[in-house]
Amino acid sequence: MADVPAGRLPKPQMRGLLISHLKRHGAIALVFSMGVTLAYKLAVADPRKRHYEEFYKNYDVKREFEAMKEAGIFNCARPSWEQAEED
Amino acid sequence: MATPAQLGLMDAASPVMEEMIYFHDHVMLVLILITCLIFYSMLVLISSKYIYRFLTDGHVIETVWTVIPAIILVVVALPSLKLLYLTDELDSPQLTIKGVGHQWYWSYEYTDYYDIEFDSYMLPLGDLNKGDARLLEVDNRVVLPVDTSVRMLVTAADVIHAWTVPSLGLKMDAVPGRLNQLALQCSRVGTFYGQCSEICGANHSFMPIVIEAVPVETFEAWCDAMLDSE
Repeated sequence: MADVPAGRLPKPQMRGLLISHLKRHGAIALVFSMGVTLAYKLAVADPRKRHYEEFYKNYDVKREFEAMKEAGIFNCARPSWEQAEED
Repeated sequence: MATPAQLGLMDAASPVMEEMIYFHDHVMLVLILITCLIFYSMLVLISSKYIYRFLTDGHVIETVWTVIPAIILVVVALPSLKLLYLTDELDSPQLTIKGVGHQWYWSYEYTDYYDIEFDSYMLPLGDLNKGDARLLEVDNRVVLPVDTSVRMLVTAADVIHAWTVPSLGLKMDAVPGRLNQLALQCSRVGTFYGQCSEICGANHSFMPIVIEAVPVETFEAWCDAMLDSE
């Protein structure tokens, strides 16, 4: 406002305001929504896929089974300390 | 099993469930895109002080907002159908198990190589050990070999039940007089829980399913033990 001479306001847009608003806000809406979508993809979807890939890359069935067995998870395979107690 | 205050899907224990999780993420992308678009549009419209008095029609925008949703639907439908057919794929199963729903327990039959049959009742509260899950533990669990393609045939003896294991991405109605087939493959060892998913009477909530996925040698040892006990 300091650079406008006293008594003169900038001329408002007289024609095509709706179209110009639609273009401006349409672009902002598209950028905003695609930005949030990309953020979800980069922060949630892609890391989840990578996590599953890494989990199964070096997955050792025997090691995991032995650890779970010793923790007493399974009914069909009891931990060695339980069998030792029974003996 | 699900943990308290869990919001998302359970961790996958089968390749099909993994694909379901990825599909869920794909659909979430579409939903987030649409929600953000609508949210911003509402914000602008509510905060705007202008009205266009001469607005009568908008053929172009009406065409645009018809075609774009159609494209979005195709973007969702194509992977959805691919996943749907993937869940039905059964590639040379090495084992067939029959699960029969009763009021109010499940019974299982392993009749491929052995003649093993047992019932699976929920463990009542008084019989639970420390650390057991309430309303989820059973007396006899379904034991399966890990990384093995299994055919699960599901039926019922009385009313309609449904055999469900969410972490394996499995749910199938158990209908009396009908055999429904499920393709089952556990990618990792562990115990996986499920509950009957079709209202079947007073104790519908008290007939859970528990699967133990173990190495093949352990599975064979369990089969031998079951045969000996019978």
